[in-house]
Amino acid sequence: MKSLTIRNLSKTYFDLHAGANVKAVHDVSLEVPEGEFVSIVGPSGCGKTTILNMIAGFLPVTGGEILVGGRPVKGPGPDRGVVFQSFALFPWRTVLDNVAFGPKMRGVGREEREKIAHEYLALAKLSEAAGRFPNELSGGMQQRVGVVRALANEPDVLLMDEPFASVDAQTRMTLQEELTRIWEAKRPTVIFITHDVAEAVFLANRVVALSKGRVVEEIPVDLPRPRVWDDLNEDDRFKALTGRVLQLVRSA
Amino acid sequence: MRPFLLNASSFCLRLTERWPSIATIAPFALLIAAWWTVTELRMFPEAFLPGPMKVLSTFGSLTYTGILPEYLEDSMVRLAVGAFWGIALGIPLGLLVGLSPRAHKALWPLLLFFQAIGDIAWLPILVIWFGYGLTTMTIIIVYTVIFPVVLNTVLGVRSIPIAMHRAALSLGASRPRLLWEVVLPGALPNIITGLRNGLGYGWRALIATEIIVGTSGIGFLMFDARRAGSVVEILLGMIILGILWYIVDGWILAPIERATGQRWGLVTR
Repeated sequence: MKSLTIRNLSKTYFDLHAGANVKAVHDVSLEVPEGEFVSIVGPSGCGKTTILNMIAGFLPVTGGEILVGGRPVKGPGPDRGVVFQSFALFPWRTVLDNVAFGPKMRGVGREEREKIAHEYLALAKLSEAAGRFPNELSGGMQQRVGVVRALANEPDVLLMDEPFASVDAQTRMTLQEELTRIWEAKRPTVIFITHDVAEAVFLANRVVALSKGRVVEEIPVDLPRPRVWDDLNEDDRFKALTGRVLQLVRSA
Repeated sequence: MRPFLLNASSFCLRLTERWPSIATIAPFALLIAAWWTVTELRMFPEAFLPGPMKVLSTFGSLTYTGILPEYLEDSMVRLAVGAFWGIALGIPLGLLVGLSPRAHKALWPLLLFFQAIGDIAWLPILVIWFGYGLTTMTIIIVYTVIFPVVLNTVLGVRSIPIAMHRAALSLGASRPRLLWEVVLPGALPNIITGLRNGLGYGWRALIATEIIVGTSGIGFLMFDARRAGSVVEILLGMIILGILWYIVDGWILAPIERATGQRWGLVTR
């Protein structure tokens, strides 16, 4: 795992309908040290997914720069693992082969990469599902596979794009608790995109509030770990933090 | 009466559960029975509509003399050669047009134009260019097979969600690797649909071509029989066409579809 540096990042689109340039991201700077969990929260259209897509290398940058471990980002690469809102598992591969995909691309032999995959599947309590195809799993289980598939490739930075937005509320809480547990075990550097303020605070060491393509404020979250919803739901500090972030996101 | 009906229907249900092929054969048995009844009642002259037994005995004699096996082999080999080239050219072309916007822009209108001309419409000019023979027939079949394969491959490639490409790239897949790991398997269900359609059309085109330019094959058998006024052989040819397609589709194409797209949840049953 390595640090992530974003300097004066901006993105301008040419909007065909409006017939004009639209600035989706304005001059965003962010420093994420190795092993930190940062949530970027904001309403839809605030540019958060655009930022993630630029870090992942899926979209070209129109201004500023992104450095991972000091090296500038040029296109997608295995140093930045991505977890997608739509899961994006390969339907034609078993769960095991999905998780072993990254190591396979690195040239790791079958036996070794399956060992790695089994290890990570166990981490997410997915060992039973190893031989099944993704479409045979529930949404929650599919996204667990999505998370460990990205982690099994040991990226420097883990990028998560609203990963729990399309699962039901109960499953989402379980997944959030599991993610904090996995993060504590592996300590990856994480950028987590969400529009859910409580989720952002629950997971992160730091929350970046975003509005209209600009960083409004960064709020450190010093809640103790391990975090579970049963404790935090009634926790005054948690309530105060979510209240503050919500205010920032809504007012800006 | 009621319990009897109930018993009978549950008996049928158990029977078809145990031997699913009964459900396939039953409608044909009914059809043959109807055909047999019509001919037994002598509603039409026999030369006009011969009965099933007559067709069966002709099948026996034509098989014994070796004419039918030879013609069958000729037709199947022509279809196989045509299908091979149709697939070998169609899938790469489909991948190219599906992946490259530039190729799509340049080739798509051409594809639609030539698709519209239709296989048989090429026969007159092909006969002038290549004469009556295998070359003409192969070109016709390749031409027929290739369009459904290309068009469905393009559709399949374009229906792969962009997140799937991105996932593979950020897991370390190189661009060439993407073709094998994402594009081909992602497009496979559509490719198989294209093959199924293509071979179906190809089969029909083959028979039509044999009727017009052939000197052997099932289509030729039927057309030759017409010249002699032998309805038995025409009927036999028609039945063989149906059965053969049933076998190719049910024993080769459908199992591939079940093992891939349906298994992966990309195609609903």
